[in-house]
Amino acid sequence: MTVALRAEAVSKWFKLERSRPSTLKESMIRYLSGRHSTDGILWALQDVSFSIEKGSTLGIIGHNGAGKSTLLRLLCGLGRPSAGCIHKTGQISGLLELGSGFHPEMTGRENIMTAGILNGLTRRQVLGLQDEIISFAELEEFVDLPLRTYSTGMYLRLSFSTAIHFDPDILMIDEVLAVGDSRFQQRCIDRLNAFRRMGKTLVLVSHSTDQIRSLCDEVMVLEQGRLITQADPERAIHCYDDVMRERTARRSGLISKCGAQLGSAMTRGNRLGTLEARIDSVEMVDDQGRSTDTLQSGSSITMRLGYRLVQPLSDLILLLGIYSETNVKCFETVVPSATEAFGSLGEKGYFRCHLPALPLLPGRYYIVVGLYPPDWSYVYDYHWQTHVLYVESSLGPSPHVSGVICMHPTWSSVSKEEWGRGFAIEGSGFGENI
Amino acid sequence: MPESLIYHFDLVSHLVWRDFVLRYKRSVLGIFWSVLSPLAQLLVLVFLFRIVIPLNIDGYPAFVFSALLPWTWFSSSIGSAGGLFIYNRDLMRRTHFEPSTMIAVNTLSNLIHYLMFLPLLLFILILYDRPMALSLLLFPLLLLIQGILTAGLSLIVATLNAFYRDVEHLAGMGLLLLFYLTPIFYQSQAIGKSYEWIYALNPVAVLVQGYRGIFFYGMAPDWNRLLGAAGMSLALLGIGYAVYRRWLPEIFDIL
Repeated sequence: MTVALRAEAVSKWFKLERSRPSTLKESMIRYLSGRHSTDGILWALQDVSFSIEKGSTLGIIGHNGAGKSTLLRLLCGLGRPSAGCIHKTGQISGLLELGSGFHPEMTGRENIMTAGILNGLTRRQVLGLQDEIISFAELEEFVDLPLRTYSTGMYLRLSFSTAIHFDPDILMIDEVLAVGDSRFQQRCIDRLNAFRRMGKTLVLVSHSTDQIRSLCDEVMVLEQGRLITQADPERAIHCYDDVMRERTARRSGLISKCGAQLGSAMTRGNRLGTLEARIDSVEMVDDQGRSTDTLQSGSSITMRLGYRLVQPLSDLILLLGIYSETNVKCFETVVPSATEAFGSLGEKGYFRCHLPALPLLPGRYYIVVGLYPPDWSYVYDYHWQTHVLYVESSLGPSPHVSGVICMHPTWSSVSKEEWGRGFAIEGSGFGENI
Repeated sequence: MPESLIYHFDLVSHLVWRDFVLRYKRSVLGIFWSVLSPLAQLLVLVFLFRIVIPLNIDGYPAFVFSALLPWTWFSSSIGSAGGLFIYNRDLMRRTHFEPSTMIAVNTLSNLIHYLMFLPLLLFILILYDRPMALSLLLFPLLLLIQGILTAGLSLIVATLNAFYRDVEHLAGMGLLLLFYLTPIFYQSQAIGKSYEWIYALNPVAVLVQGYRGIFFYGMAPDWNRLLGAAGMSLALLGIGYAVYRRWLPEIFDIL
């Protein structure tokens, strides 16, 4: 397979515009007074490297402001990266904004011609495609009216239909698939699938994980300008969900304080992060000091996390959690500043976490560990459902208890009269009142 | 190669046509507005310099009109160049689109307005009984040189104006001054020998005199000066293109 598009360590920064001189006078004054420093730099993309094979479909997901659109614009050749480079083979067409180049005073037909020519087709080629575009957009009756008379839906259908019919080798689509009713959307997706079957390359930015799932071979997750992972759609979407969950929890200050449920079930181990700091080993030690993955319910446990700093870091956040097989958070603990808690960190070492009692019901659990920079802005290393912990009970599994915490219930029965005489105060009984 | 030639022809011609159509959409008089405004200017100049301050030039309307038309082409192109990149964000964001195309489109679209006046100009020339000579065949050459000059200056104005809006105003003021420094409503000889260097340095003046020469006097232009103007125009186009190439990536960033 040949590579259609390759990005090598692409970074893009913008000078913050707050005090960019907007007139020559300001700029002169600034120059003469020697204050031509910049206010700061906004990193839109940092060190992003990836490649796309010819004929495959790459999805890009990430939050608003994660750098998706900036990346797409750079890939399309609009502007150049501040550092790094982009190699591409074949003709690229970008659908970055719907209806760009359309003019409200021109008719639908005239706008199709404009868009087609702007997309690199000759007049003759556009004329050949015209009928197909019009029928795909279902605008046969309106195509000779000025665009300003169109409804929003008609406008979007026309612009999408126009964009999708000029087959380039590589097509980039920026969040524009959410167009029209669901039937029209389905036809767009069918059309994109046909495009894929022709062996062409597609890059798709979308917020719809369903679309990503159904269209993409591979998915990249961008977070604050960094490429966090490039994986198959399922795994990448889980990473994305995870980043989303972290972010949401962080924003509301709820991390590890409340049992935020995970978005969806994970079926296999996972890891994400930039690996500037990494956890190389996770070891569970029982009260006899033996390394094990099986513990008695209620006994103590010590976890030993072997870490490595790939580059010197002043500080990091350490997270450790226990999750049930069904993704219920049983427990999570955070060390907000490792240097404050443990002193400065060596290049390699261990973090140890001792839990005096493990009041969990028998079953299979996952140890989740994570390292983050001090502001939670992204992820150094995060292991999710990689380390399995089995909890057993000397009593054996019981069909009569469920949940996550081992509570040792004691049952008894009390009559109504006895309850009335104040047995309830003892708190040991429970009356069935019908 | 022919394929790409066809494409570029289609691209430019379509955009010129679109520009042309859009300019007059939804106005009752439509295209007549573009006829009316130079005519109004012509009337003002004729009134001023035939009646108020008589310059005593034979066939004055034909004399002015033959120079006013190319000037209008030049000034309206440069005057609108400043907004080309900044007000056409949607075009700037097309993958295939080379923004300098807009310079060509703007220059050509204004040229078409000029050409539309040719029948009227010829009518006035005949009315004043001016000689029709073979030198008229030099018209395309003059157009070519002026096109190069206009495109080069437009590139500079459009590029720099993306960063500093002052450039637009500066260009407007420059055009105003240049109008009086160019022999449009007066004869070039009127300025006296000691100031002639102004014309030598002003390619627009050379071109305007050239047009007047072939239309009004039926004479070929001063070849040395024309060669100088052509050289300056080419140099400006080169500088303009270098400026454009250098700053284009940053224009994408600030748009």
